[in-house]
Parts: sequence; structure tokens; C-alpha cells
Amino acid sequence: MKSIFFHLMPYPELPPDFPEEHRSVWVDIDPALYDPEVGNRTYNEYLDELEFAADCGFDAVGVNEHHSNGYGLMPSPNIIAAALSRNCPDTNIVVLGDSVALYNPPLRVAEEIAMLDGITGGRMVAGFPVGSPMDTIFAYGQNPATIRERYHEGVDLIRQAWTRDEVFSFNGKYNKLRYVNVWPRPVQQPHPPIWIPGGGSVDTWDWCAQEDLVYCYLSYFGYKAGLKTMQGFWKKVQETGKEANPFQGGFAQFIAVADTEKEAWDLYREPAEYFFNTCLHVYAGFADPPGYKTPNTVRAGVEGMVERAAREATARAEAKKSSAGGGYPKGLSFEEMVEKGYVILGNPTQVAEQVHELATTMHIGHLMTFCHFGNMNKDLVRYNTEMYATKVMPEVCDLFEDEYEDLWWPQPLAQPARRDVPEVSAS
Amino acid sequence: MSGYATETLPFREGHLALVSCGEGSPVTYLHGMLGNPGEHAFLNAMANKGWSVTAPSLPGFTGSSEPSGLRNLHDWVVAASELIDVAGVTGHPVIASSVGAMIALELATIRPEAFDAMVLIAPFGLWDPQDPVADPFATTLSKQRGMLTVDPAASASFFDDLEEMPADLLVEHGVDRYLTRSASAQLIWPIPEFGISERLHLVKNPVTLVHGAEDAIIPASYLNKWAQNLPNVVGTHRVEEAGHQAEFDRPEEVAAIATSALS
Repeated sequence: MKSIFFHLMPYPELPPDFPEEHRSVWVDIDPALYDPEVGNRTYNEYLDELEFAADCGFDAVGVNEHHSNGYGLMPSPNIIAAALSRNCPDTNIVVLGDSVALYNPPLRVAEEIAMLDGITGGRMVAGFPVGSPMDTIFAYGQNPATIRERYHEGVDLIRQAWTRDEVFSFNGKYNKLRYVNVWPRPVQQPHPPIWIPGGGSVDTWDWCAQEDLVYCYLSYFGYKAGLKTMQGFWKKVQETGKEANPFQGGFAQFIAVADTEKEAWDLYREPAEYFFNTCLHVYAGFADPPGYKTPNTVRAGVEGMVERAAREATARAEAKKSSAGGGYPKGLSFEEMVEKGYVILGNPTQVAEQVHELATTMHIGHLMTFCHFGNMNKDLVRYNTEMYATKVMPEVCDLFEDEYEDLWWPQPLAQPARRDVPEVSAS
Repeated sequence: MSGYATETLPFREGHLALVSCGEGSPVTYLHGMLGNPGEHAFLNAMANKGWSVTAPSLPGFTGSSEPSGLRNLHDWVVAASELIDVAGVTGHPVIASSVGAMIALELATIRPEAFDAMVLIAPFGLWDPQDPVADPFATTLSKQRGMLTVDPAASASFFDDLEEMPADLLVEHGVDRYLTRSASAQLIWPIPEFGISERLHLVKNPVTLVHGAEDAIIPASYLNKWAQNLPNVVGTHRVEEAGHQAEFDRPEEVAAIATSALS
């Protein structure tokens, strides 16, 4: 099983009364809360953390795309990937990913990933999410009723642009390009592996199964809650008659590991509560715009993970409004987060056991680990990262590797042909 | 009231749903965001005043399938033009509400004979940055209900499930509601302004404007804005205790206004 160090890049200094005083961390978060000096420090610390994870031996580092979001300071994951590209020479980079429908034309994604693949010598994974409603529909003004069609057309355009060996015309419903000619071409042929982050849309399960794409459930709510979603995907794979290769699946999980369980409880409480009770304070009105879900998903009654978090956060805010002088309703306790599996916590043995259980019950070969979460300070991030890399990863890295081939992992140029580190440094 | 007829007519690669009631002079009702209400107090009120009402569902709304070719407003207007022909209501007077009023106005700019006189209830289409139209979608379902009508009971036909519905029909009722909301979003996302103010001089039809005094979506100032921009406004009416879809909150009153305007 591959472990990917995944970073959300949350803004670390939202005020303690944020849920009480503000409607949402996403879309209409107050611009006045952003301190550029904090931003400067934060970006550089977060890049340090990603590079440190690479040094520790993670199989890959992972980045993603959010807009107008207090818990995601990466409107452009490709910029962060570019910043990492020459400083993590032995690690793959998972961009999970570029919200294809937001790029006009989506050819830009094909070009930028091809550039990154060229710089890194073929160490890229290209992730293509539809994108959350907050990002795509509200922050970027896309039409909820047409975004999925636009997205699928965009992915089709990118795949054609990477694989066709002639200049061609693309006459789509949303994209009309007389000359398509991606230059540069990606190093990996026919193209970098494509992973699809999903939030529970039943049609995405079908599509990934049919097209042999990796389905990644980037849940914030742990493996216990995510099991049903992954089972839904594997059922679709089985229906196609294909092998259920665990490397076609990915999952995200918060990790909190320390020398002892008690230490872990002490160390990770604050950052977990910051993430789940402040960062996920999303207004429910942004989470389910009409048309964003497919009829099949509506019919199946599937609720997206952020939709669920938003519903709960808004319910707390409304409970406060309707109460006479009572305090703001408490969010989840850390104990609940651990009990429900949102956070895998413990000493290395305990964490390894839970990760093993997660991987085998969900049947996933790619684990996106959140070793940074919430407002965790940089020393604690390093501790958590190193503990996972040195004491947990060795216990789980062999999972599935003998039984299955990872057909969705980057295939970089072999050394010494590969050139991906700075040759000249300033004196 | 009894005497409702429902029809499903072939329309492009799918179908169009249509309800009709009453006997008398023909009038068309083009629904708004709440979709085609079927048997409803407003249609009853019109029928009782001697009208033969035909209410087609726009593409993607309440029982009508969504044609695949709807990329932009132009496609919607062409579809609406075809739809009134298929429904057999071309040239009739029209009462159009909300998103339906926007489509009716757009169609009138390019096909004046599409309708006779027009009664328009809170049309979308204008945008004043100093007094912007509210976002009807950045909200929860229950709050959206409060934006569409003042009285929650007035929009029960759209929002409420029937208690006696079996479970599978309940699911499909929910899907239909979702698709109708989706069709509205497709029409007016993200800002319901598509340059109609530059085309309004082409609307020669006599227009009566109706606006719910408590419309939580389109501000009160828009009644005058439409009146100033349309060349042939014959009446403006502010309906008290009515929200965005005033004909749902005050069916008798809006029916009386429409009857007066169209007679």
C-alpha cells in the first residue's frame, strides 16, 4: 500500500469564536480575517512539511484545489506542485487535483500537468475532481446543472490532448478548439495516471469502474463512515467483470501517532478540534445547489461529506440563534472524533493496526494521510510525519504489493536519464 | 375544482407535460421556480373567472424532459418558441411568472406574435448592483421555500410530500422536485442578467407587471425598473402579503389583476 502525505493547507489562525461569529469558512469567509504575514509564513511552513514528508520516505506528497476556503489555501495545486517539483526528487507528486471544469479551456490542465511531468521526469499523478459545490458553483460561478457535463467533456479533451499524435480539432458542447496541440507532451506515456477524487456520487463510481480510473474518496470522516462509499465503488467494479485491484482505490484519513496513546490524546486534541469544529464550519446553503448531484445520486439518497458537515454546522448555528442566551453548541469532542474513526490515534502499533484494518476492509491501495491537520504547529507535524513514516509505514507498506500490480502509479524516467534537481545553487 | 386535464406531448427527443382547466377564453400560464403546480388555487381562480387555462411545463421542469441541446439562453428561448407551438398556445395571452416571465419576455423580443397581451409576475432578467437580486440557491431547501412564498402553505404543492405516497413514489417526487430546482438554476445561474435590457424595446405586447410586496428574491425597486424599460406597460401592481411567486400567495388577487388586464 502506498502512503501519500496529503496537505490541505488550512489557514491556522481563525479566531476561536469563528463558528459563532461567522456564517461559513467557505465561499463568503470574511476577507478581513486573512493576514498576509500569516499567509507568507504558512505557505513556507507547509512547503517545508511536504518536503520533510518526502525526505521521510512517503511514497508521494499530495495537494488539492480549493477556492475561497479558510481550510484550503491552494486555489492552484499546480503552483504548489511546481514549488515541490525540484525539491522532492525521490517522491511522486499527487495533484488531486485540478477541477477541470473551472479551466477555460481545460487544455490548460493538460499543459500544466505535462509541464510538471516534464520537470519531475514523470513523477506526477493527475487528479481530476468535479470539485465541490463551494469551489465550483459558488466561488467560481459554474452552472450546477451543467458542470458535470462540462467536466466530463474537459477530461475527454485532456485525455485526447495527451494521447493523440496529431494536431486535432475539438468541437465540444462547451469547448471549441480549432487546433489542439499540447506542447510539451507528458513524460509518462500515454499519460500520467489519472485519479478521480469523489464525494459519493454513484455515477462517478460507474465512470471510474468503466474507464479504469482510480476512485479516491477524500472523506474527512474516517474509514468507518467511508466504508459504504468504497463498497459502492467496488460493487460497480465487480459489475463490470473486472478485477477489484485495491490500487484502483484511494482514501483519505487523519492520522495522530505518538510514542504512547496518552501522548497522542494530549498532542492532537487542539488541532483536531480546530479542523472539525472551526474549519468545517460551512454554511449548509452552499453545500447542495440544485443540479450539482445527478438524479441517480439524489435517488440513492447519498449525502456528500462536506454537505453533511455543513448541515451539522448550520444546525448548531441555528440552535444557537433559537436558544435564549445559551452558549454556542459544542461541536464534536475529540473523543467522538477518535471513536468514530475520523482520526486514527494511538501509539505506532495501534495506528498501524487501524491503518491495516482500514486498508483491508475498504480494499484500498492508496492512502492519503493527513499528518497535518487543523492548526497543528510545525514541530508537531514533523513528529507525526516522522512517526508515521518510520514506525507505521513499514508495517503496512507491503499490503497488496505481492498480490496486485499498481497500474496507476507514476512511471518516472529511470536514473541517470532523469534530471529533476537543481544543478546550480546560489553561493 | 375538477375538470383538470393532463397531457404528455412529444417534444424533440422527449416530451412536454401540460395541464389545462376551465372553459372560456384561452390563456397560457408559464410557471416560475415552483414549477407547474398542476391542480392549484391560482389556476382554479382563473378558470372560475371564465378562462381556459393551459399550463405547459418548460423543458426540465415538472414532468417535461430536458432536451439535450440547452447550452445557453438562446437555446432555451428557441425551445420555448417550439414548445408553445407544440402546446397549441401560440398567440394566446400569457401569465408568466419568475423564470417563466424571463423566458416569455425573451421570446417576445424575437417573436412578437408568440403571445398576445402579457401579465408578468416578478420576472428575472434585470440586475442593479446597488440593489441586487438575492441568490435563491445559496440557501437550504426550507429557506428557499421562505423566499418563494410568504406563506409556507402556499408552496405545499412543490415542497411537501403527500402523506399517502408510497415510498418509491416519494423518492421520485423528491427527484422531480430536485430536477425542477435544477432547471431553474440552469436558467438563471449565477446572475440572472443576460442583456435583456438592450432588447426590451422590441417587446411591443401590452405588458402588465405584478410584484409581490414581500418578494425576498427580486427587490421591490425592480417593478419600476421594468416599467421604465418596457415600451408598452399598461399596468403595474404591487400585491401585499405576497412573495416572489405572488400567484401562489394571493391566487384570487393575482387572478383578478390578470383578468382585468387581459379582458
